[in-house]
Amino acid sequence: MQRLNPVVLLAFGFASLAGSFAVRDLPAALAATTAYAVAALLLLPSWRYPVACLALCGVSAGLVGYSAWRLGNGDHAPVAALRILVLAWPGAVAVGFVDPARLGDYVAQRLHGPDRFVAAFVAALQRVSGLTGTWQQLARVRRVRGLGPTRNPVTALRYAGSMTFALLADALRGASRTSVAMDARGFATAHDRTWAEPAPWTRADTVGLALAVALGAVAPVTMLLT
Amino acid sequence: MVRGELRLEGFTWRPLGRRVPVVADLDLHVEAGSRVLLAGPSGAGKSTLLHALVGALGTTIAGELSGSVRVDGRVGFVPQQPGDAVVAERVGRDVAFGPENVGLDRDETWRRVDAGLAAVGLHQGRDHPTAALSGGELQRLALAGVLALEPDVVLLDEPTSMLDPAHASAVREAVGRTVGGGRATLVVVEHHLEPWLDLVDRVVVLGDDGSVVADTTPDEFLRDHRDRLGELGVWMPGLPAPRPITVDPALVRPERPLPTLTASDLTVRLRSRSLRGSTTTTALCGVDAAVAPGALTALTGPSGAGKSTLLAAFGGLLDPDGGSVTGLDPTLASRRSRDLARDVGWSPQVPEHGFLAPTVAGEVALTAQRSGRAVDAQAWLELVGLGHLAGAHPYRLSGGEQRRLSILAAAAHRPGLLLLDEPTVGQDRVTWAAVAGIAVAAAAAGVVVATATHDDLLVDLADEVVDLRAGVRT
Repeated sequence: MQRLNPVVLLAFGFASLAGSFAVRDLPAALAATTAYAVAALLLLPSWRYPVACLALCGVSAGLVGYSAWRLGNGDHAPVAALRILVLAWPGAVAVGFVDPARLGDYVAQRLHGPDRFVAAFVAALQRVSGLTGTWQQLARVRRVRGLGPTRNPVTALRYAGSMTFALLADALRGASRTSVAMDARGFATAHDRTWAEPAPWTRADTVGLALAVALGAVAPVTMLLT
Repeated sequence: MVRGELRLEGFTWRPLGRRVPVVADLDLHVEAGSRVLLAGPSGAGKSTLLHALVGALGTTIAGELSGSVRVDGRVGFVPQQPGDAVVAERVGRDVAFGPENVGLDRDETWRRVDAGLAAVGLHQGRDHPTAALSGGELQRLALAGVLALEPDVVLLDEPTSMLDPAHASAVREAVGRTVGGGRATLVVVEHHLEPWLDLVDRVVVLGDDGSVVADTTPDEFLRDHRDRLGELGVWMPGLPAPRPITVDPALVRPERPLPTLTASDLTVRLRSRSLRGSTTTTALCGVDAAVAPGALTALTGPSGAGKSTLLAAFGGLLDPDGGSVTGLDPTLASRRSRDLARDVGWSPQVPEHGFLAPTVAGEVALTAQRSGRAVDAQAWLELVGLGHLAGAHPYRLSGGEQRRLSILAAAAHRPGLLLLDEPTVGQDRVTWAAVAGIAVAAAAAGVVVATATHDDLLVDLADEVVDLRAGVRT
């Protein structure tokens, strides 16, 4: 999985998204879910991360299934739930393996995305990965100033709100300062931008792309066959 | 206009949320290839001037701009908070950003990346994660990014404020090589002027109101302006160290005195983890150190030595991977937030991360209110020259002002342990004396005071020094 280029990784997500539209009956739903689960088992280096993603997607899948059942469509409930899993889970897992800088290289050089947009997007993604550090600092400050989380649900909720707001404020202020710094490193006038690293397409990428398409096709093919 | 020339005419800037302009009707002309040192007290508008030259005022930074600002040529800028300049996850790609923008081919890009990293003394390699760099290392990374761009105009906002003398001098040499021989125009904002005077050919000093109070050559600057500018707060070479101000002991006397805290065999690893692999940096490795009540302990060492990490460990702000901090039962690390706050005050390295209240005065009073203690916020603010900003939003202050506020926010509730991370960065002589005065007075009143710093003047005031090198005590 780590050997695939980021565009191929995202292709897994997009293929599953497209395929999920064909999840309309139970056989297709089961076939697609099983195919992705088997692929995850065979291809991923650890099971923890995909399971964590599965749990998160499972919440929304469960909610969709529950509402389908409450609306009196009991037979359809498992299909609706599995459709959400097929739609969201593969993409969520694949995104975790994407290196923002490499994604920029490939989108700009292979897909010929607009240079400045891609570079700005990559810098923005980088800031997202920097948020963990900021979160830790914000949490430390709150704890040491007596505003840390407690077991009381009301204060816990207030704490979560304050942290989220502070992180948002920091992200916005940081974004404007970063854009100043970027402009002052030639970005404001970057017309013919180059890329420091190439974006080669390997045989593994071709195999990966074929697999992404094949997995996405499991649901529609099953539907046609049954 | 010639390439590398800068011209400000009638430049006036009023940031959003302030009633009066920070800089009013300023005229400044810098010829191409000239090297200017920009000095002045904290809050004088030095960073504002650099932001104007970068073209950020009125576009990225909100406010009202009038007059004209003209800059010809390619600009490279190192901001005051170096973390803001990071655009990539890895060191090499970050430095490569500038060369990529100007359309260099791969060979030339990487040649400049390697040269830039070597010039500022960052030797961790191209693939080192930027998230694992310390404040001083980020500062050097930002400079490497600017050097790799080979700009016509180099703008530096306190580029050595978080560096030890050796790295600071390496940085100045690298800047000198880039701008020397008229290759580029330089405008550098610094508080510690002396080491830069050999490098520049002009010194411009801004006053409290953002006007030019001196515009001269380095020689004349040293000869004619020493006493006048020294009183204004400028760090004039040759003047004796400022004397820390006297602080009323009642302001800092600890509500609950603490015993000596001892770190034994302390090991802390910092992980930056992602699915694409994780990098572990050892910040502290088997460190033994103690901080005692009634003493000011300075944690020193080059950037990345583990000073901030040790400071945080003493305050119970992180769980060590090995060893322990003893002296209190229950330990600070195991305490709940409110119990921790009663005994600990911490001023973080990035002051903005520490602000929780919508006003400056509210910020000073906050922890005291949480701990049920009385506090005279206005007295504290007057002490460090922030009295006139009591109603302002903390985000609206200048870098040096924010740092002083962050120190007050840590000290005002009279904790028994006061931890200050680089408290004197961005301070002029006057505000330095206030910051140092608080640290000294707190120690004299029986507080355990520890500070991570590379400021020699502050280290001179310390009762104990813990010197670290790459996470190990020397």
